[in-house]
Amino acid sequence: MDEYILRTNKLTKKYTNDFALEKVNISIKKGEIYGFIGKNGAGKSTMLRLITGLAFPTSGSIELFGNDNRNELINAQKRMGAIIENPALFPNMSAYENLEVHRLQKGIPGSVCIQETLELVGLSNTGKKKAKNFSLGMKQRLGLAIALLSDPEFLILDEPTNGLDPMGIVELRELIKKLNREKGLTVLISSHILSELHLLATSFGIIHKGKLLEELTAKELDEKCRQHLRIKVDDPIMGATVLEQNLSTTDFEVMQDGTLKLYKYLDDVRNVSRALTNHGLVIEHLSQNGDSLESYFSKLVGGHKE
Amino acid sequence: MTNLIRAEMFKLQRNKTFWVLLLTIIVLSTLLHYLIIIDWWQINETSFDTAGLSELNALSIFTVPLFFNLIVSTLAGFFISIEFSQSGVIKNQVISGNKRSTIFMAKSFIFSLGAIVVTILIPLVTAIILVILTGHGDIIDSSNLMYLGRAYGLFTLQFLGYTAIIMLLSIITDDSGKTIIISILFTIVMYAVEKLSKPPLIEMVYENSIFQQFSEVFKYTMTKGEIIKSMLIGVVTIIIVTLCGVFYFNRKEIK
Repeated sequence: MDEYILRTNKLTKKYTNDFALEKVNISIKKGEIYGFIGKNGAGKSTMLRLITGLAFPTSGSIELFGNDNRNELINAQKRMGAIIENPALFPNMSAYENLEVHRLQKGIPGSVCIQETLELVGLSNTGKKKAKNFSLGMKQRLGLAIALLSDPEFLILDEPTNGLDPMGIVELRELIKKLNREKGLTVLISSHILSELHLLATSFGIIHKGKLLEELTAKELDEKCRQHLRIKVDDPIMGATVLEQNLSTTDFEVMQDGTLKLYKYLDDVRNVSRALTNHGLVIEHLSQNGDSLESYFSKLVGGHKE
Repeated sequence: MTNLIRAEMFKLQRNKTFWVLLLTIIVLSTLLHYLIIIDWWQINETSFDTAGLSELNALSIFTVPLFFNLIVSTLAGFFISIEFSQSGVIKNQVISGNKRSTIFMAKSFIFSLGAIVVTILIPLVTAIILVILTGHGDIIDSSNLMYLGRAYGLFTLQFLGYTAIIMLLSIITDDSGKTIIISILFTIVMYAVEKLSKPPLIEMVYENSIFQQFSEVFKYTMTKGEIIKSMLIGVVTIIIVTLCGVFYFNRKEIK
């Protein structure tokens, strides 16, 4: 049976007359990297604030590590690390001192973990430099170090690449993948930069105007976004046989409505068309389909490409 | 709780505002006491005069709410409120897996401790050291020590009630500037209530508040009943205001 790290049940947050979140159900399994996708203002940060206990739901419930009452949730937060919106730092303290405050707060014994975490995020050489003099990227790294200090099982990152340069983004991605692979860290990461999440996440939740539109695995998303030829013929079974025998491919699907989705021969449509018509099939429709993640997202939320 | 208190202590030790206030009060207290001891400046008719401790007259300045509020509210603004607004570090604390009530209590404890050190301990210690160094040490005999102990013991109790109010205010406002301004307005209002004629109900409330006690506790003689009343007012204020603070912080949404 799958072990769930986080489950929400009809989670709702209402501000006066507006719903910031409306009956959102998400499930995150142990070991997943869950990409939370949505436009700015879609409700991503609200969701993360509710999960971390910074705000309170109007209705619905949150289950974290199998615990769902308030006191148990607070205790479960000890197994979690998070950066919500901006990294929260003491500007007049060094990176080491910032981590020392959090070490004391969480009651982590010994200070070895501080140097180890600083090395992990590439801030071990900052010495006495104060956090207020850090670049935006360094601040993000320090925020990440704070979140990772207690060796959490579940990491929540809200727009973590804000302010990072391209190399920083790659390094962050590799670090998250490494922690996920080596320590089994479960990650919930929100972003509106879809290409970035696509390279990292193993499952996705797409949120729009406070409502969860879809939850799917990376594999399912890839399938939906994969480029293909959409073919509609008068005899789909015969059509499938022609593809198999004459075009020597099994890389196609027969959909419930009889449409064939062919993932090969994208640059050789004429050959496909000829093979089908040569066997007396009537082609009712033939087109090239498939979305980029961005256009898939745009179609889903009913807006324009971002 | 111990972890949180250690973390708050660590933060207070690295808080610039705390050190600036501490040094300012050391210099100011030393200067004022010195000026009074050498008779360059005189303050008359203070409670310390009545007790025969006129060399300590400058202490009376540090026990006036209009003055000590400047210290307490500045510390509250730049030690408590700033964590909600500018740095936002309160988020990390709330996420840390500690109960909000425990977080509030730890903050309140260290904030009050810092305020007591700057506002009560430093002026008193500098005054006593200066009095001894200038050869007036004989004024601090056992009966005066008893008086100072009783007066400052009760004053500290009332002061803790006051820091609890400012702590609550700093959490409500979320902003250091607002904390300072509103607390100044609050003390001005309380000062006006003290000086102006007021309806019987307000007079009754004021007379049983810590604001009346700030001056009452320095009376040279206090009856047992007055001491118990003063203690009750201080303790009840601390408990009620702290409970209000915990209640509010438990329901506060962190931005």
